[in-house]
Amino acid sequence: MAVKEQRTIDTGTGFRHPLYQVMLETPGLTVGTAVLDDLLSWGLTNSMWIFPMATSCCGIELMATAASRVDIDRMGVIVRATPRQADVMVVAGTITTKMAPRVLKLWEQMPEPKWCIAMGSCAISGDFYRNLYSVVPGIDTFLPVDVYVPGCPPNPEALMHGMLRLQEKVKRQKQGETVTPEPNPDLLKITRPSVPRLNDPTRSTIQTIEQERASTNPTADEACAPLVVAATEPPPNLAPLTAADFEGLLKELGVTTLPPDGPPIIPAAQHLELARRLKGLGYHLLVTIVASHWPAGKGRKGADAAEVEHYEVAYALRTVGQGSRVATWAVKVPVAEPVLTLSGVFAGADWQEREQYDLVGVKFAGHPDLRRLMLTENASIHPLRREFPADAAAAPWR
Amino acid sequence: MNEFVRGGLYGGGIIVGIMSSLLFVLWAERKMAARMQSRIGPNIIDPTGFLQAMSDVLKLLQKEDIIPEKADRALFNLAPVFGAAAALAVAAVVPFSASIVGADLDVGVLYLLAVGAVSVLPVFAAGWGSNNKFALLGAMRAIAQSVSYEVPLVLAALVPVMLAGSMKVSDIVAWQASHHWLVVWPFFLGVPAFVLFMLAMLAESNRIPFDIPEAESELVAGITTEYSGMKFGLFYMTEYLHTVIASAVAASLFLGGFDGPGGPGIWWMVIKTFVLVVAIYWLRWSLLRFRSDQLMALCWRWLVPSGVVLVVATALWVVFAA
Repeated sequence: MAVKEQRTIDTGTGFRHPLYQVMLETPGLTVGTAVLDDLLSWGLTNSMWIFPMATSCCGIELMATAASRVDIDRMGVIVRATPRQADVMVVAGTITTKMAPRVLKLWEQMPEPKWCIAMGSCAISGDFYRNLYSVVPGIDTFLPVDVYVPGCPPNPEALMHGMLRLQEKVKRQKQGETVTPEPNPDLLKITRPSVPRLNDPTRSTIQTIEQERASTNPTADEACAPLVVAATEPPPNLAPLTAADFEGLLKELGVTTLPPDGPPIIPAAQHLELARRLKGLGYHLLVTIVASHWPAGKGRKGADAAEVEHYEVAYALRTVGQGSRVATWAVKVPVAEPVLTLSGVFAGADWQEREQYDLVGVKFAGHPDLRRLMLTENASIHPLRREFPADAAAAPWR
Repeated sequence: MNEFVRGGLYGGGIIVGIMSSLLFVLWAERKMAARMQSRIGPNIIDPTGFLQAMSDVLKLLQKEDIIPEKADRALFNLAPVFGAAAALAVAAVVPFSASIVGADLDVGVLYLLAVGAVSVLPVFAAGWGSNNKFALLGAMRAIAQSVSYEVPLVLAALVPVMLAGSMKVSDIVAWQASHHWLVVWPFFLGVPAFVLFMLAMLAESNRIPFDIPEAESELVAGITTEYSGMKFGLFYMTEYLHTVIASAVAASLFLGGFDGPGGPGIWWMVIKTFVLVVAIYWLRWSLLRFRSDQLMALCWRWLVPSGVVLVVATALWVVFAA
């Protein structure tokens, strides 16, 4: 990433006021402007109010910095909860690609003059989450960072030291040391929010959720609207399940011995009927839905030339109360085919299926609102598929 | 001298005096808060931290002034100014000494209650004009709170009025000078009325433990959420103005005003006001915030009934004992 090289030095003169210009242009008043400069930067440097953008463990150290041992209030720093009244945004913690647009929005809501401190190695570079598909590799990819405070996490004294460095920088700002970043255009893609920016000509005054979803986005190769997969009815010639316990139901479905390497695989067409029947038998709690993706030639038993590329979706139900019993089963479908949704039987299946669709890419037929849950709505990846690179440095956007 | 010219001169003097006292109040509060939390407070800018407030103001003056696109610009811009003006206007009828008083109205107590009640309007204007949900929620809470606490405030202020037989604040002070301070005798009327008045005044000026309109943990910054730069600075200042002026009013009504041992004088007023201000900050940094429903319950179930009882007791005292 050639981000640092792209940075330019701003020749900004800082304080611009008509009266100040008159003073600058009048001979003999330069002493006055110098005194005024000193006074103004004295005011700025001694009253830097923090906006705490604390997302993870560094936030604890940020709180400790304001507490009695270090007491950052000694240098006039207090913490404000609203960006409108803050001068310094302290980004303390890992910023995910989903969080990044929000951080940027909060940054834009802060009034000038404003500064940014990257606190901790995650905010500086992403640290060991750097190559993760969901983490921004350093906030300087979309924010102009003034001071880096290294550490994992930095201790309160380090943040205090960072504030002192920032004071020095502000005092010298008039000598042309303001650094404005050039955002990395590739990273701009992942940090771009689904709402167009103010300077985007396509933005209308009132933006509906449909417009937001339909907005053009360079990374979206799938529509952001819910994926509609038509519900398929099970074949009518199948007999209804009648057994009164889980083992009996499995036998009816043709499973006689439980496999040693995972939950029993049942025919996909009868999977919804099984769930309904089990709920009737007292299995009221949907514990989990886990999908796994298998490339062609690989299956549960290792390399197997007969296997096509497929998903295996495992389900687990429980009865509630003492002596709780568990029922688990799995459905195996080729990647092109959808799995029947359980959201009509268990309300909790809604988000679980959205998560599996988001991360693995399984499509659930008849799901009322099949949108992404964890990643950004316009993301184009299913990171838990086997072909997804383990090292995301090789991912499409890097 | 023309009465208007005199009032203008004294009023201007009082405003300048109160504004300059704010510097001290800001410093005292910040250092006190720090001490109560085992911290030191501002000491890098200068050893005592006294210049911190000036630095804050200089900083706020340099900040960008942001007006939200869909804000009601007139309300948004006028609210901080009117807020500060309404807070200052209460000071007009407070006698700081026998001669230093802006306008010694015959209905002084009525005036200060009325103007104090007006100060909720700028708060609501700020909340409404910001076009921000947190600000609006804060403003709604402020309205509910101020309207409720108006009742015990009026009831508590009636006690000195009934005892002195006048609504003129200087008459109340004179009555206390010729009898006793109200909190000394009759203390069973004076002390409860004083406590009631201070509690209601605290709630009126939205200070902790009654600061739910700007509860930071729930409402970002309440009514000031959208305010940046010096407009926020004005709100900040208004909060302190409220505290100082409410303390001055309470000192006049209950603590004998400018009268004291060794002869009357403005120094007594200054001492009493600052003692009350310090007491308010002591409360502020010791207590937690009430929940909205607890606040209403406190007002309507405890303060209002005890206020009514107090007024009736005062009436009986005036008729039979005094």
